[in-house]
Amino acid sequence: MTKHENERKRTFLLITIPILALFICFNTIPLIRGAMYSFTNSRGFGSHDWVGLRNYIDLFSDTRVGKSYLFTIKLALVTTIVVNVLSLILALGLNSKIRAKGFFRGAYFLPNILGALVVGYIFNYFFTYIVPALADMTGMEGLRSSILSSPSKAWIGVMIVCAWQAIAMNTIIYISGLQTVPEDVYEAGGLDGATGWKQFKHLTFPLIIPFFSINMVLCVKNFLMVFDQIIALTKGGPAQSTESISYLIYNNGMSGGQFGFQSANAVVFFIVIVVISVAQMKFSSSKEEQL
Amino acid sequence: MKRKGFRSLALTACMTAMVPFVWGCGDSTDGKIEVEIVQYKPEAANYFKTVEDAFNATHDDIHLTISSPNDAMAILKTRFIREDYPDIIGIGGDINYSYFVDADILADISGYEGMKDVNEGYLEIAEALELVPVDGTYILPYAANAAGVLYNREMFEQHGWQIPETWDELTALCDEIAAEGILPFYFGFKDTWTCLAPWNAMAVELAPSDTTKQVNKGLTTFTDEYGELAEKYMALLPYGPDDPFAYNYNDACTAFARGESAMYPIGSYAAPQILSGNPDLKMDSFVMPASDGKEDRTLNSGIDLGFCVTKDCKNKEAAYEVLNFLYEDDTLQKYIDAQTSVPCKKGSFTLPVILDGMTEFIASGNMTDYQDHYYPSEMSVDALLQTFLIEKDRDAFLKNFDTSWQRYNRDIIRMVQEYEAAHGSAQ
Amino acid sequence: MKQTSTVGKSNKTVMVLLILGLSTIIFPLYMTVVIAFKQPSEMTNSISGILSLPKVWSLQNFREAMEVTDFWNSLKNSLLISGLTVGLSILIHSLMGYTLGRNKSSKFYNFVYLFIVSGMFVPFAILMMPLAKQTAEMGLANWVGVILLYVVFYMPMNIMLYSGYLTNIPLALEEAARVDGASTWLTYWKIIFPIMKPMHATVAVITALAVWNDVMTPLIIMAGSSENTLPLAQLNFQSQFGTNYNLAFASYLLSLIPILVFYVICQKQILNGVVNGAVK
Repeated sequence: MTKHENERKRTFLLITIPILALFICFNTIPLIRGAMYSFTNSRGFGSHDWVGLRNYIDLFSDTRVGKSYLFTIKLALVTTIVVNVLSLILALGLNSKIRAKGFFRGAYFLPNILGALVVGYIFNYFFTYIVPALADMTGMEGLRSSILSSPSKAWIGVMIVCAWQAIAMNTIIYISGLQTVPEDVYEAGGLDGATGWKQFKHLTFPLIIPFFSINMVLCVKNFLMVFDQIIALTKGGPAQSTESISYLIYNNGMSGGQFGFQSANAVVFFIVIVVISVAQMKFSSSKEEQL
Repeated sequence: MKRKGFRSLALTACMTAMVPFVWGCGDSTDGKIEVEIVQYKPEAANYFKTVEDAFNATHDDIHLTISSPNDAMAILKTRFIREDYPDIIGIGGDINYSYFVDADILADISGYEGMKDVNEGYLEIAEALELVPVDGTYILPYAANAAGVLYNREMFEQHGWQIPETWDELTALCDEIAAEGILPFYFGFKDTWTCLAPWNAMAVELAPSDTTKQVNKGLTTFTDEYGELAEKYMALLPYGPDDPFAYNYNDACTAFARGESAMYPIGSYAAPQILSGNPDLKMDSFVMPASDGKEDRTLNSGIDLGFCVTKDCKNKEAAYEVLNFLYEDDTLQKYIDAQTSVPCKKGSFTLPVILDGMTEFIASGNMTDYQDHYYPSEMSVDALLQTFLIEKDRDAFLKNFDTSWQRYNRDIIRMVQEYEAAHGSAQ
Repeated sequence: MKQTSTVGKSNKTVMVLLILGLSTIIFPLYMTVVIAFKQPSEMTNSISGILSLPKVWSLQNFREAMEVTDFWNSLKNSLLISGLTVGLSILIHSLMGYTLGRNKSSKFYNFVYLFIVSGMFVPFAILMMPLAKQTAEMGLANWVGVILLYVVFYMPMNIMLYSGYLTNIPLALEEAARVDGASTWLTYWKIIFPIMKPMHATVAVITALAVWNDVMTPLIIMAGSSENTLPLAQLNFQSQFGTNYNLAFASYLLSLIPILVFYVICQKQILNGVVNGAVK
């Protein structure tokens, strides 16, 4: 047995080393090189000076950055909940015994393929012209003007578009998770009289918890890093109310001349997401062990 | 079994090793000198394609490539960082140009013979863009745009409305138009950058053209210089649609094209987009009047496209040959027709019809550069303006403008002050 | 909260709900199709103008869009990049996912797992400049570089997916093979790799989709080369001062087809789950 153990260990190590090297080469090293810029006043090209921790000190006194964190976190939390509830329901629906399963699965996947320009454009129309017209007809005062033009409501528009696009991918992951649940679990459960909600809660859900936690982590990460939808829908407006962190980093760092400062922002942002996600993973793996 | 484990290692190694072989095709020059231009106006891509073909058809010794990528600034910056400089870059006369000059990327082209044909007004504008005065000339101004008010000619003729020449006449006209049940202005403030159009057009008359430089030297503040401007901008709002922040640039262009408003305060660059929505529209433009003195009016015009030769360019003669070709009257005229812009070259050109109302200003050289060409883009003045127009709090806006300015321009201000200390405040 | 019963016949309520839900997808899709056929002068800001059908159903927009984007060439590049990325991802990521998923008790492998997964959270903007420089230095400023970067970018997520999937695949399967004297390496390819087929399909779909629509990576890595991918070519339709939505939408519809076909093929694989196979 020990011979086997050694062989197994060696194989694993031989697999890990080259792949890890590739990863370090194209992820870790550029990250470190990028992080170096956070100690400079670089514009991204030309010469630059070392400014020590100035960028980091500025970061914590910058209200625009602060606002972008608040907006992004609010958006990520709400969207994650909405997306996971809806895509779990959808996955159960699409996984049940229905007709034209392939068609439905294909159709519900569509939002994910449409590019950001198309989605942004259509939803702009939807929020600017169609919703207010519908509100006029039905007499709903609150929706008469476009929600995208209101600094306090625009984030809802962004949330809807993010959710609309993200549900497809989460659903696929849930569906592939549901596939790992063996039929006989249901059969056994059926004998015990577990149906509907009870069956889901006690039989299905515990078995797809790894997928639930993957989806949670992916969602939180994707929405914390939201960028495309902002560009397509609001470009950070109105009144800078929908500037996400990634938008700010890209817009001011790459397009603008704040490369050094935004690199510092990116470093802090990276640490924040890692902490949140590792906490999430630790939490859900402790849940997994309980079950 | 060890061998098998090695396979994955070998696979990855091979993948990395084969890379240099795959790469490296192309680049066959046939002994010709290669000149590459990257220009930042994707909307002019078709024009530059024809220029490229025409040039290559008439030149045996030089091969020209022009690319017109989207998001050219990001591409240029990534190429600069990998020290892969195009020979010539086509950019606008804005803060990026200032940065490029400061970063010592561009070559001094004051020796280029075509410089003598450039309209001096635009050379001065280019000069003013340098963060601190630098010897030499770094850009060949090619085409300019102009911002003011576009108006629906048929509508104006039908109702007998007159072109306003003072601020009071403008507001009176707006009242008159509104009284007829027609919307005077359309705004597309959902796209924040459009907030800058009326702002710039009025700023040239209401604030000194070197406001930002004065602030950098610590001689004045924006609160002092922009007060009236902000006030008047707010006064324009009631003449626009109910919720201007719901509509984007495209919506506004479409609305104006379909006669939903009589006027649209925007730059000449909007003409192609507007005409795509209604090719039969008859429109013209006028200079936005912002004060009570007719003679105080000045046209808001800046360099929309200019060509810079990079320091890294190996064959200056070839680059100049390309510039010569671009600067020929015929070539330039075609650009002006395609992009509804203003030539930066002296001589007789046929200006686009929609600039009729601005011709006298262009002819007499009564032009002032956009204020926003001095704003660093990361400060997002457009978004600050949008916030101001939504919240309508003038004092907070100006205060914020001043504090943000200091923060975003810290390094530039330091540079300017060091320069002042070394050279004395001669200017 | 509607739940499905596993008993026999198709579920009517679920069907009805699913059909209702479809409206949220059909409406935007309808608009996309209609806009793709319209002329710019037919675009108005009124509801009737938005919803109306085009005056003529002409393929002119599609023809023009194909010309502007150099469609076949860009398509070839996109297919090449997406195909190779997906293939390499399935091979490399599943192997790594297996290694990490089977060593959850080891401190070292746990660290490697977290290390790689945390790579998912690196904001792309901070990597852009260094990567542009590094790939150029390594002679990788071309599609090969783009593929390598993709393999690295999607490694964290795919490894997460694979190792998550492994928790439901019993170790007993491998032990049986081991008793027969097969090496770990061989056991993996002979037994584990085929079992993970539904996950391969999922990974393929997710990776292909992300790669297919990605603009940023090819934009900065291949900048200056004359080769285009479809999304890069589609950038030609938009600029600040004017966007030709009709051409853009026609072009988007065209580029949507290959990935949709790919999805339909893959989702059959996701469907033929592991359940019917070895795990019981």
